[in-house]
Amino acid sequence: MVMKRRAGRPPEAYLPLPPATFHILLALADGELHGYAIMKGVAARSEGSVRLGPGTLYGSLKRLLKAGLVEEGDERADPERGDERRRYYRLTPLGLSVVRAEAQRLEAMVRAARRKKLIGVRPA
Amino acid sequence: MSAERIYRLLLRAYPPDFRAEYGREMVLLFRDQCQESDVRTVGFWARVLWDVVRSAPVLRVEAWREHGRESTRTMEVTMKIAAILTVLVGVFGILNAVIEWSAGGNGTTEHALALVLGVCASALLLAAGVAILRPTERGRQAARLAVVASLVLIVAARLLHPWMSIFAQLVGIGLPVGILIALYWPRRASPSGGVRVH
Repeated sequence: MVMKRRAGRPPEAYLPLPPATFHILLALADGELHGYAIMKGVAARSEGSVRLGPGTLYGSLKRLLKAGLVEEGDERADPERGDERRRYYRLTPLGLSVVRAEAQRLEAMVRAARRKKLIGVRPA
Repeated sequence: MSAERIYRLLLRAYPPDFRAEYGREMVLLFRDQCQESDVRTVGFWARVLWDVVRSAPVLRVEAWREHGRESTRTMEVTMKIAAILTVLVGVFGILNAVIEWSAGGNGTTEHALALVLGVCASALLLAAGVAILRPTERGRQAARLAVVASLVLIVAARLLHPWMSIFAQLVGIGLPVGILIALYWPRRASPSGGVRVH
């Protein structure tokens, strides 16, 4: 899909986010991460339900960079993963606003589902 | 063949620009995956293949669209240059006819008629150039009509006055034909500006 940076676009204009994109932004909310750390973070947070391969991950990162939601940090080695230099990514202020807006949107949906007793009640 | 070598072959499914930008990072990530998974299992390779099948075509389409936008921009710049050239040729044609008229020419009716036709054709070329500079579909339609009319008049002038110079024939016939081809060249839609994060 196509993403384009638009000056002055409100964060809500980017919603709803696809699950993979939301998970990537959520992982980056912890701070600067390289590709593999993002992948591991997403798998751990989703309890294995979302598994990002290299193509899906870097395809999404490319679009997020182009949209200005993510930016590249330094290129450096991860001491835990050998001495190969890795590219790090971090959220931009816009990216942080977008992931917050998406989280609020999802929260509102969960509240609505709870009011209708679709979740949060024990089955009889 | 090592797992990494197979993966490097699979990377060829991605667009060259994407490979150049992220290929190294993807191989590093794949290497990390290999260290934490059993590469001899079918499940591992099924996940790897599914990732390539799912992401590569989408990225190819995106790269193709991006290339299309660049081609459209190049075409627009070319059309602007062609429009300015058309205006200049139109002005030059009118001036040339006026000078030839003042010089007297050979004084025949055919020559005088050919000069009038030449002036009209040049004026139409000038109008076509101005119309092309207006980036609207109406402007393009007006330019097409003006160019076709100019071409017809130049051919008529050539038939009336067979001594028309080769240069004048080349410019008077070649330029409108080139402009017509460019005006009928299929155009891609301009970037829509839609924001989709997928």
